[in-house]
Amino acid sequence: MVEIVRYLLGGWLADWLIYLIAYIIVTTILLIVAPLTMMMQVWFERRAVARMQDRLGPNRVGPAGLLQSIADGVKMFTKEDIVPRAADRWVHLLAPVIAVAPVMFMLAVIPWGRGVVPATINVSVLFVVAVSSVSAVGLMMAGWGSNNKFALLGAMRAVAQMVSYEIPAVMALVGVVLLTGTMSMAVYPELQSGIPIMGDTLSKYGVPDLGLGWFIFTPVGFVGFILFYIAVLAEGERTPFDIPEADSEIVAGYMTEYSGMKFAVFYLGQFVLNYALSMIAAIAFLGGWQGPGVGLLVATGEPFLVFLGSALSVLYLMIKAWFLFFVMIWLRGAFPRLRVDQLMGFAWKFLLPMALVNIFSIAIWVSILNWGSAQGLWFLDDLELWMRQLIAFVVTALINGLAYYGLLQLNARPKGLTGADLAEEQAFGTIGLPQR
Amino acid sequence: MTAETPRTSNVFVVDRGEPKLRGGQGLLAGLGVVIRHFGKAFTKKIESPAESSGLFTVQYPEERLAMPEAYRNFPILLYDDQTGHELCTSCFQCERICPPQVIHMTQASDPTTGKPVPAVAEFIIEYDACMSCGLCAEVCPFDAIKMDHEFELSNADHSTMTVNKAGLDRPISYYESIAPTMWAEVRDGAMKKLQGNMKRRSGDIGIAPPMKGKVQTSAPAPAAAKPAAPAAPAKPVAAVGANMSDEKKARLEAIRAAKAAQAAQSGGATPEVAAPEASAKPVAAVGANMSDEKKARLEAIRAAKAAAKAAQEGGTAPEAPAPEAAAPAPEAPAKPMAAIGSNMSGEKKARLEAIRAAKAAAKAAQEGGAAPEAPAPEAAAPETAAPEAAAPAPEAPAKPVAAIGSNMSEEKRARLEAIRAAKAAAKREASNDES
Repeated sequence: MVEIVRYLLGGWLADWLIYLIAYIIVTTILLIVAPLTMMMQVWFERRAVARMQDRLGPNRVGPAGLLQSIADGVKMFTKEDIVPRAADRWVHLLAPVIAVAPVMFMLAVIPWGRGVVPATINVSVLFVVAVSSVSAVGLMMAGWGSNNKFALLGAMRAVAQMVSYEIPAVMALVGVVLLTGTMSMAVYPELQSGIPIMGDTLSKYGVPDLGLGWFIFTPVGFVGFILFYIAVLAEGERTPFDIPEADSEIVAGYMTEYSGMKFAVFYLGQFVLNYALSMIAAIAFLGGWQGPGVGLLVATGEPFLVFLGSALSVLYLMIKAWFLFFVMIWLRGAFPRLRVDQLMGFAWKFLLPMALVNIFSIAIWVSILNWGSAQGLWFLDDLELWMRQLIAFVVTALINGLAYYGLLQLNARPKGLTGADLAEEQAFGTIGLPQR
Repeated sequence: MTAETPRTSNVFVVDRGEPKLRGGQGLLAGLGVVIRHFGKAFTKKIESPAESSGLFTVQYPEERLAMPEAYRNFPILLYDDQTGHELCTSCFQCERICPPQVIHMTQASDPTTGKPVPAVAEFIIEYDACMSCGLCAEVCPFDAIKMDHEFELSNADHSTMTVNKAGLDRPISYYESIAPTMWAEVRDGAMKKLQGNMKRRSGDIGIAPPMKGKVQTSAPAPAAAKPAAPAAPAKPVAAVGANMSDEKKARLEAIRAAKAAQAAQSGGATPEVAAPEASAKPVAAVGANMSDEKKARLEAIRAAKAAAKAAQEGGTAPEAPAPEAAAPAPEAPAKPMAAIGSNMSGEKKARLEAIRAAKAAAKAAQEGGAAPEAPAPEAAAPETAAPEAAAPAPEAPAKPVAAIGSNMSEEKRARLEAIRAAKAAAKREASNDES
């Protein structure tokens, strides 16, 4: 964008002004894309969930109900904005802003396509993780500022959930950081070229670059993806982790006292956050904009084909992100929600240990791929890269599988309890896993 | 430490085949079920309630569910497609049984006789208060009122909720199309009853409004051929019924002619020709609608009367036309005579009666000696002259005699009159003897 602006206006404008204008344009585009995406998401969710429930979704407003989101938006705009008299006015007003602004920040560092990164930071993973924690402050402000004990309870639960599930998410991402050696998310898709499982290791033998060397096809990436995706569900308050906004449980949780546009801002923030986190999951584990054809097109070097490759890469990322969002909808249509104690137990007793084990596996993976006799692993010296990849694959698969099985056993409901003991164990104990 | 609660009842352990260690298999199975429903929702539409997946939505109002046959919403009245006749006879059973009392009806009656006929003149149902219980359809003995399936009757105009017969009528083919099995069960009985009812309806009574003017109505009342005026002679005579058959009418007129002849005779001692109509007393005008036969007969009568008068003034003896003394009594009392066949034509019957009367007269003359009144049976001069001369239907001599019942058969009537004539003759003899 900077180059484009400079090309158009470079003559008579100072440099800083060019940058400013360029970034203003980029920001505007992002801030338009986000609500439009959210409208599409709402339509998609309502129609997909309906089909899963053997019914049609909204289909009267516009063709196939596409204008339903606009109708809902108009409704929210025209609703009266009610603020409880005893509420803390400023806190109540700023809560939606603080809950939603970080989500927009996240959109800035995501590589939307090959060469389409609004802001290139070399610590973008850190940035994303740090910024997503600020949303929790917004939630707490919403609950407290409403002067409503149910809102407060709901906010506390929501914050506990968010904070608890950030840890496995971050741990999973840390694994990817180890794997790739960089925190810059923009680089991740480039490193996932090649063929499944073997990745890039066979490229020097003439195997074409299919763009499918995604991390998910490795055991460490697979486990990491599952962990990260479950954590993302909880971050975005999707079923089965939607206890903060469960309609039948706690009124509307921290959103109870919000009406009209403020509620719409919360709603928007939630959907955009889910979409952004789906994109990050796709980038880190599913290859991001990488896909069959992108590498080939770009390698030709012709400007038009390179442009075509970039466009294709944008399309690939969109497909992957929408697919992950569809899986979110799928899970919503299939599962009941977890109780809040089951939720917390699941995060701390299963996901976090598994994530730690995964980090350990990744370390082993990296060492097998990169180390040699200099680090004391003389038996790895003469092996080709693809051999190392295979060995690492097997070893880490073993480690992860054993860890999974072990954790299931550890968390299983103790056998032999009856009556009151069983009830007590269930209430404060495990996450509902069956008897050993 | 475990606490064992003592078990007092049997414990059943259900083994569902779940694996010992569940690591997410159940979750994946659930996801599989849901995605199957998702796929089916695009390809299949649920047709029957037994199916469990597929699209369930019925996009009303573009699509509608078919109502079962016995679905009941609001009542409708049925009429036959071919003849146009409504099945309803206004028997009042549906109005009687309707719980919210929303059915109202009035019975149709014959315009000429004023008698009720098995048809309904006006039928009103207040749809807004109808509770669709279907009791009216259950109780109708003629299967005339049935429950319709139409439920989209919302209207901004409340007055349309009160529906009259024109709005309630539907052809039987319509009901057959919505409830074929239910109609097939009752069709034969209903149509049989309809045939019976149709016979008792005249004109276009009982024809549904949509079919009026398109179907042939039953034979119009014969009174149309014989207009009102001449159908009622000056004497109080029951009007010729509109539904009388032709034979009956001919016989009736023969009787009246005979009486008229008798009266004229008593007045003018001349038997008349078989004249059905009027007598010496005020004569009704010749109606414009008279048939030619009637006209001829009327003229004959009047000619005969005129002749009689002339004869009277001339003082001549009774004339010849004894044989035509159209006696009301067809049979001679003495001899048992064959009853008049019911299949005889009207004219034949009249002639037969005249012949018999003449014979009887001749006999009476013989028995009565040289009594100048040749047509003895009709003499009864003092009797008939005094009261209403030649009152036709109820012959009332000085003795109180029961009126001839209107329900008497022809033969009975004839015999009765023969008896009376004989009695009269005997009386005359007696009086003659006395005097």
